[in-house]
Amino acid sequence: MDRNDVILSIKGLGKSFPKDNGQIVAIENFDLEVENGEFVCILGPSGCGKTTLLRIVAGLEQLTSGSIKIGQKEITGPGSDRGMVFQEFGLFPWRNVKKNIEFGLEIKGVPAEKRAETSQRYVDLVGLKDFEMSHPKQLSGGMKQRVGIARALANDPAVLLMDEPFGALDAQTRNQMQMELLRIWKETKKTVLFVTHSVDEAVFLADRIVVMTARPGSIKDLWDIDLPRTRDRASSKFIALRRDILDELEVQKTGT
Amino acid sequence: MMDDLPRYSNKMRGVFSRDNLPKVVLAVSSLPIFIAAWWLLALYLQGQGYFYLPTPLEVWDALVLAWTWDPVTHQSLLSNIGASLGRFVVGFALAVGLAVPIGLIIGYSSLVEAFSKPILEILRPVPPIAWVPFLLLSLGLYWGPVITIFIGVFFPVLSNMIFGVKSVDPLLIDVARTQGASNKQVFTKVVLPSSIPYIMTGLKIGVGIGWMCIVAAELFAAQGGGIGVLITAGQSIGRYDIMFAGMVVVGLLGIVTLALSEFLERRVKIWTGMM
Ligand SMILES: Nc1ncnc2c1ncn2[C@@H]1O[C@H](COP(=O)(O)OP(=O)(O)O)[C@@H](O)[C@H]1O
Ligand SMILES: [Mg+2]
Repeated sequence: MDRNDVILSIKGLGKSFPKDNGQIVAIENFDLEVENGEFVCILGPSGCGKTTLLRIVAGLEQLTSGSIKIGQKEITGPGSDRGMVFQEFGLFPWRNVKKNIEFGLEIKGVPAEKRAETSQRYVDLVGLKDFEMSHPKQLSGGMKQRVGIARALANDPAVLLMDEPFGALDAQTRNQMQMELLRIWKETKKTVLFVTHSVDEAVFLADRIVVMTARPGSIKDLWDIDLPRTRDRASSKFIALRRDILDELEVQKTGT
Repeated sequence: MMDDLPRYSNKMRGVFSRDNLPKVVLAVSSLPIFIAAWWLLALYLQGQGYFYLPTPLEVWDALVLAWTWDPVTHQSLLSNIGASLGRFVVGFALAVGLAVPIGLIIGYSSLVEAFSKPILEILRPVPPIAWVPFLLLSLGLYWGPVITIFIGVFFPVLSNMIFGVKSVDPLLIDVARTQGASNKQVFTKVVLPSSIPYIMTGLKIGVGIGWMCIVAAELFAAQGGGIGVLITAGQSIGRYDIMFAGMVVVGLLGIVTLALSEFLERRVKIWTGMM
């Protein structure tokens, strides 16, 4: 793979967990380079190690072998150069929308006026104007994840990591959030690493799709999706692509 | 932009709705029936020559009398209440001030927990009142009752604190770490605020137990009066009306303090997003 302007590079990544008196290999030999500004979807059957992969990149989990670099810098733990969006939102229930978004800035010791300025920008970006003072309890699932996205972006990370971020939403809200995410991505020019088990979601969003094998997870195939955006789910090209990728996943499930 | 509308809770049903009417009637009539039954029983017993149970009216008169000066403790009801409340506040504050930080440490560190658990499990089952004779002997008439309250309040606050720290959502800790939080920041910005509702529950339970402890300790002896003193002194000189007046005051104060702590617990839970 030869790419210019690589922002995230994963080399020879392996991860195993201790289990009973042996080990369970979750990820094996995973190599990936992501370009600055690229939207990459990681697609694979449930249990293949997608969450584990993202948690390792986030620094929440230690890798067993290999290395990960953001730009030229090898990662050793969590850091605000990577922002993460979780499937279950993970909003702080005692903080309102504004305070949730400002969390990372508080951690960095950014002064209050500067924090307010930044959080307002991201509130506007994700379309939560007039909900700044609402608490998570008062928000719908879609709105909660808007907060989750704004909070991850407020730190201005180099890479945005998203672990099935719309998996807890109903189908209609999910489609709407996919459109919103693409708009936000265009406006912020962020690099996105997006995990999903939905082929439809991956084909709709991604510049490139990484198809993973079943456990131990490694890369089975890479798909460049060069359909123009906004993509039409009813177009024959979209349907054909979706079917081809689905076939690839199915083959793997039946063990061929 | 928002097809997905926010959810609002819909708990605003009236207390006085039609299906509630029989219950309201029952609730309103229960107290008068209780007082009437008490009255009849007292009259009956007094007719038989037993004077231990005064009538509600006699208790009311004793309350009015004790309000300014009673012949048992030789002071006003308010100063007796003040004496009990004073001990209560000191013992309660000491217990909370120690149980909260200790609970935070035990809940956070499994090593500290492994060490302290056997000690706590031996001490916890001893009823606070069983300590009273020892505490009065060793600490005297003021600190004896105060430390009784301390013991009564310390354990429930501690257990709730430990439970609170352990119940912190690990997802929130992950979120904080991906946002660049240090261990110390995870503690102050996630673990501590998550535990606040549990502290409040501990306080609420502590208030109830503490109030029982203070009166029980005062029944043995106390310096400078107190509601428990009023009750035992009334008994010892045969002024059963004053003894019962003390019991009524204890009950009322218990209701007030419990309602107050429940109100506070609710506010805090709403404020921290737990309700
Ligand atoms: N902390 C852990 N301890 C042990 N095994 C784990 C742990 N986390 C994940 N695994 C295992 O690793 C495999 C991959 O899990 P995960 O990354 O959650 O998959 P996915 O997100 O693709 O569904 C699973 O078999 C899972 O049981
Ligand atoms: Mg997963």
